[in-house]
Amino acid sequence: MTGPLRGLALACRGVSFSYEEARAAIPALRDVSFKLGAGRSLALLGASGSGKSTLLQVIKGLDAPEAGEVLLDDVPAAAAAGAELRRQVGLVFQTPELQLFATSAREDVAFGPRRLGWQEPDVAAAVDEALALVGLPPEQFGGRHPYALSGGEQRRLALAGVLAMRPRLLLLDEPFVSLDPATRRELAKILLRLRADGVSLVLATHDVDLAWALCDEVLVLDAGRVVAAGPWDLGEAGRELREASRLREPFLVDLWRRLGRDVASAPRTVAEAAEALR
Amino acid sequence: MKPAIAQYYPGDSVVHRLDARAKFVAVTGLAIALFVRDSFAGLAVFAAAGVIAYVLSGVPAAWFWRAFRPLLWLVGLTFLAQVLFAPGEPFFSFWIFHFSWAGLEFAAFLSLRLLVLVLIGSVLTLTTAPLALTDGLAWLGRPLRRLRVPTDELALMVTIALRFIPTLLVELDQIMRAQRARGADFGSGGPIRRAKALVPVLTPLFVLSFRRADELALAMEARCYRPGLVRTRLHPLRAGIGDAVLLGLTVVVIVAGLLV
Repeated sequence: MTGPLRGLALACRGVSFSYEEARAAIPALRDVSFKLGAGRSLALLGASGSGKSTLLQVIKGLDAPEAGEVLLDDVPAAAAAGAELRRQVGLVFQTPELQLFATSAREDVAFGPRRLGWQEPDVAAAVDEALALVGLPPEQFGGRHPYALSGGEQRRLALAGVLAMRPRLLLLDEPFVSLDPATRRELAKILLRLRADGVSLVLATHDVDLAWALCDEVLVLDAGRVVAAGPWDLGEAGRELREASRLREPFLVDLWRRLGRDVASAPRTVAEAAEALR
Repeated sequence: MKPAIAQYYPGDSVVHRLDARAKFVAVTGLAIALFVRDSFAGLAVFAAAGVIAYVLSGVPAAWFWRAFRPLLWLVGLTFLAQVLFAPGEPFFSFWIFHFSWAGLEFAAFLSLRLLVLVLIGSVLTLTTAPLALTDGLAWLGRPLRRLRVPTDELALMVTIALRFIPTLLVELDQIMRAQRARGADFGSGGPIRRAKALVPVLTPLFVLSFRRADELALAMEARCYRPGLVRTRLHPLRAGIGDAVLLGLTVVVIVAGLLV
């Protein structure tokens, strides 16, 4: 990395959005408000159809909210002053490998940086750096055809395409879906590395264990409304709320509770748990 | 989603409930009569039939208008082309254009004829689900099977194509969003730049479509689809007394239109 990346602070104030259908508007987000500090990581949880993907696309600016606003470093993203900040938001779509299009891995990753108008040497440096970061060494994978890679490699290549633009806030939509355990582990490591570099993260997922391992804070959506926002509430109220929202407790939190231990100090990883129990 | 040109409006009106085959035959008959007859009086009869059918269909005017509007360009262009280039005694000339009363009358007639045709055709597509229409056409095409035309397979092709248009549109939207998130710009620049911006969109769309086609073919085979067999239908076409009435009325309208 060229110098430490500092994350973007994110805030939503009263954001509402609905999809236009043939005979009615279907509300997807209703009065969503929350704050995420620079360099913090947020797990976006909620049942299917609760509005997670829509929220990510509204934050990225692909859809304009009908009401409310998105703030990046306290600047309204929709304002002229927010244009540059908006470009520093990276969005990794669900199954992004379906969107690979170039004839080589390097060319695909270079698409974003070139759209930013960077000089060719800078583009090349960003591409190499991003490929290395996702564990696809450029000298080995740079010339490969994207469709000749395995599913897990394609997923990481698509992630590299977003990382090459050096986002200060990274939004990920279900990044772990349909990956084998080894690739999930590798992807989790990449996200931990980005977090350590100070990139702000928003991770929409159904996997509460990974959310617990990777994220400082949590935002639970139910039918487009925020039902919980902020640090994990590990008390009884938090547990009930998560279950009412079609989620479950993180495995390690559940274990700590059943062991009668203090859930406030529940471990984030199996290694931490083993250490505490030894 | 906005309705495309004359897109199906789900409903339960008298016109909706009629059999797709009867409606198709009626519309074809009216269209032929419309082009055989060349008087304003005949047009008025067919137009009245179209308007009555539309009113009975219960399709909201706003939906009809949105579906109908793009076709007005075609009508307008027809009118202009006829007015500017029709022969006749000119009352006003400008450069290579000559305006004549005969030309005006002819242009008005042709445009009105086109309007009535579009109206009658719209009633068919607005009130008949595309799948019912395909099934109806396959049934009407059955005699062609004696000539070894694979009508059922053709109908299946059309059905699959219709079924996957919305799916592909959703995928297209997703891909374009992903490219926009990476800084792609589809709205600016000249036509060449815009066409170039579409390459990163079309590549994954084609790859996805081929993959989908492959999977669908496998899934159909796994469920024992074999071309050339007699197939039963989930929604068999059923003609009733209403369809006989429709065809009878159509004959009356056609005769009236040709005779007035």
